[in-house]
Amino acid sequence: MSAPRSLRVWIFALAGMHAVIACAGFFAPYDPAEQDRERPYAPPAKIHFRDARGEFHARPFVYPMHLREGAFDQYAEDTAKPAAIRWFVAGARYHLLGIVPCRVHLFGADGARVSLAGTDGYGRDMLSRLLYGGQISLLAGLLATALALLAGLLIGAAAGYVGGWTDEILMRLAELFLALPWLYLLFALRAFLPLAVTPLEAFFLVVVVIGVVGWARPARLVRGVVLSAKERDYVRAARGFGASNGYLLRRHILPQTSSVLLTQAAILVPQYVLAEVTLSFLGLGVPEPAPSWGNLLASMQQYSVLTSYWWMALPALALTPFFLGYLGLASALQRWADPSNMKAVGTEGWR
Amino acid sequence: MRYLVRRIAHVVVLLFGVSLLTFLFTALAPGKYFDEMRLDPQIAPSRVAALRAEYGLDRPLPVRYARWAGAVLRGSLGYSFAYNAPVSSLLRVRARNTLALAITSTLMAWGLALPLGIWSAEREGRWPDQLITVATGALLILPDLVLALGLLLFAVRTGWFPAGGMASVGAESLPWAARMRDAALHLALPALALVLSTCPMLIRHVRAAFLEVLDSGFLRAAQAHGIPRRRILFRYALRAAANPLISLFGFSLGTLLSGSLIVEVVMSWPGLGPMLLEAILARDLHVVIGGVLLSTVLLACGNLAADLLLYWADPRIRTEGAPS
Amino acid sequence: MTALDSLSFTVAAGSTLAIVGESGSGKSTLALCLACLERPTAGRIEFGGRELTALREPELRAVRPQIQLVFQDPAGSLNPRLTALEIVSEPLMVQGKLTSAERGARARGLLERVGLSPGMAGRAPAEFSGGQRQRLAIARALAIEPRLLILDEALSALDASVQAQIANLLLDLQDSSGFAYVFITHDLRMAARVADAIAVLERGRIVEQGAAEQIVRHPEHAATRALVAATLRFEPPRERAGG
Repeated sequence: MSAPRSLRVWIFALAGMHAVIACAGFFAPYDPAEQDRERPYAPPAKIHFRDARGEFHARPFVYPMHLREGAFDQYAEDTAKPAAIRWFVAGARYHLLGIVPCRVHLFGADGARVSLAGTDGYGRDMLSRLLYGGQISLLAGLLATALALLAGLLIGAAAGYVGGWTDEILMRLAELFLALPWLYLLFALRAFLPLAVTPLEAFFLVVVVIGVVGWARPARLVRGVVLSAKERDYVRAARGFGASNGYLLRRHILPQTSSVLLTQAAILVPQYVLAEVTLSFLGLGVPEPAPSWGNLLASMQQYSVLTSYWWMALPALALTPFFLGYLGLASALQRWADPSNMKAVGTEGWR
Repeated sequence: MRYLVRRIAHVVVLLFGVSLLTFLFTALAPGKYFDEMRLDPQIAPSRVAALRAEYGLDRPLPVRYARWAGAVLRGSLGYSFAYNAPVSSLLRVRARNTLALAITSTLMAWGLALPLGIWSAEREGRWPDQLITVATGALLILPDLVLALGLLLFAVRTGWFPAGGMASVGAESLPWAARMRDAALHLALPALALVLSTCPMLIRHVRAAFLEVLDSGFLRAAQAHGIPRRRILFRYALRAAANPLISLFGFSLGTLLSGSLIVEVVMSWPGLGPMLLEAILARDLHVVIGGVLLSTVLLACGNLAADLLLYWADPRIRTEGAPS
Repeated sequence: MTALDSLSFTVAAGSTLAIVGESGSGKSTLALCLACLERPTAGRIEFGGRELTALREPELRAVRPQIQLVFQDPAGSLNPRLTALEIVSEPLMVQGKLTSAERGARARGLLERVGLSPGMAGRAPAEFSGGQRQRLAIARALAIEPRLLILDEALSALDASVQAQIANLLLDLQDSSGFAYVFITHDLRMAARVADAIAVLERGRIVEQGAAEQIVRHPEHAATRALVAATLRFEPPRERAGG
């Protein structure tokens, strides 16, 4: 059965957004770690088409910013040196998708740093950090989802297929995990693991912690599917001509779980991305200098940043289109799996 | 009655299981934990040694658990070395604050969700329904972190609401009415953040539940009998939809508690959340375990309340369990 | 609760025994036990000189292919995600003795044998009619050349005309290959058409058994008489008009 149009639209939109983040190196004008100590907390650059003399230029341009005399966060544009925005410029080296070395960036300015989203306390370009940060946050969410679904599949299949005491024990365990408030459980698990770790270690720690906490609901759903599939006549028939348990599971039973797993994936990915963002925001996730949407937002906890530097909140907006995409995908998937369910809320299993 | 006893027994077993689970977390990396503590200059080496002895790390796991569980049942959740006070007294105040926030938010959220959901269900397909669907959709995609930050920004920019805390400085000296007003102002934004993050899902589920009920045969029969609409709604529809809605209530408590953690931290509401975070960063083991346990107890109590509500609302449950 | 109680019957090679009973008489449990998919709590099943109830799982797995089951609901007994060819060649694949090409050839041969055109090999079960699905199920059952075929209400879900076609197919297959059938049904008339011997099942017990003609012409037990009466309601109109 081919996917209906609405489903394809959501998949296409999400794929597009993920592609932009995956190719962060190309879309980001600068290296995310490149500091500019002379421009801390610079506001977003204004794009001009009309210069100081009132002339119109077809090619947009920006003015370089520099600190006003005597101020530490007030900027003025230097209208004497317009810097044209060019497309496909050569800039800092990066690895496209982590493999191909490249130097081409989507855009850049001649002779000035154009920070479309402002800079942070170290003068690092926020747009670049936003794009690279998305790589970490999204990847963490995706990997954690994969882990949780894999664990849920294995445990749910075991409980459903073997039955008996195995089933009882595993389902009681699942109930236990579901009885704890989710974020508290996450924090507790994080608490007992070392805090001072490198960004890479922290990344894997976060993925494992979130994934391990999330196996229970997928496991229950998989178990339900396996229980009903086990009783099907074609499974009995296959046993009748000598099929082993492994074959039955592989060929007949587990494929039935695919639609449940897909829908769960669409629901879990945004939740887990948010979990990583929350952990990093609070300092329990990916630490500086590696950018993650969470630790980019962390500076908002400082009063001065909160009141004066509004552009530091932009990473919060980055989450929104992804959430929208995944919510739409989840609704479309649920409707595809069960077209008669007109009253599907679209949030089954949300949070 | 047997139903109630079964539910309470279930909660007890659950709490036992949770305590076991939380305890096992500590057994995950105790050695490493103490190594980190030893490196921390703020903690005296004698305290590390004392804690090690207290843990009895050389004893087998079941013995350690038994000693710990016994202490917990006696009401002692351990000692916080960061605050130099017993954990239970620290958490008691915090738990009360979290409860205040949680209960207020729950009441407000359901107070909004029920009428809006019902209204939406009654006017299915027409503009009120579509408006509500769009609004809930828009709110659903805003994560609670973003909502909390947004409201904080709003408070700071407009100055209409305080930007954190539970009471203003010197509030104790104010007369009662002014103190209430002050407390309400402080509670407003955190509660609003929680309401905005949980309400959309509630509204959609209420709407779905009522759509099912409004479609059913016995309601049409009541209409045909000429019973006025309002009466139908409240006496019949609500009763019929009560079952799934009460289960929803139990389920939403978990998300509310999780949400309250982040809201409390962002908006500086002195509840369990900020305490838990501090404890994790300070490696204050007992506070972390105590906080997790307490939050689970709160959730379990909330679910028990939901079960009681179900028992009262659904006569089938009262008669179930009678000897056959 | 006992589903079946002290049954005793034999089936000779190449012959058909029909077990007839109302719903709830324990027929499906019987089918599963005979196919070695369920274990009886007591009693013996002898097959080809071996005592099946004494065998353990690995040995049973070797015996099962010789006894194949065709189920009542063709939709439930065929995996909707596989094609017809895959369904029929699956038993061969599980047994693992042939190459992929040989399996394909055999499967196509089987499809032809049950009256399905090879052009339908690539279709999914959903695209077949009820009768065609049952043919597919029979083809699958025949794939590994069983000695005994158990048909558990295999015709009951089909239209009357289709029932006749499939019944004829079954008889033809039996003539050419010589396997035995255990034909479980609630329709005594169909049983009489297809079977050599009939056993009547009531509430888990066999209350009467003997040659097919004998049972239908001269039913003795009340249950048998009830079954006979049930079939009499469907007399074709022309016989009544002549009276």
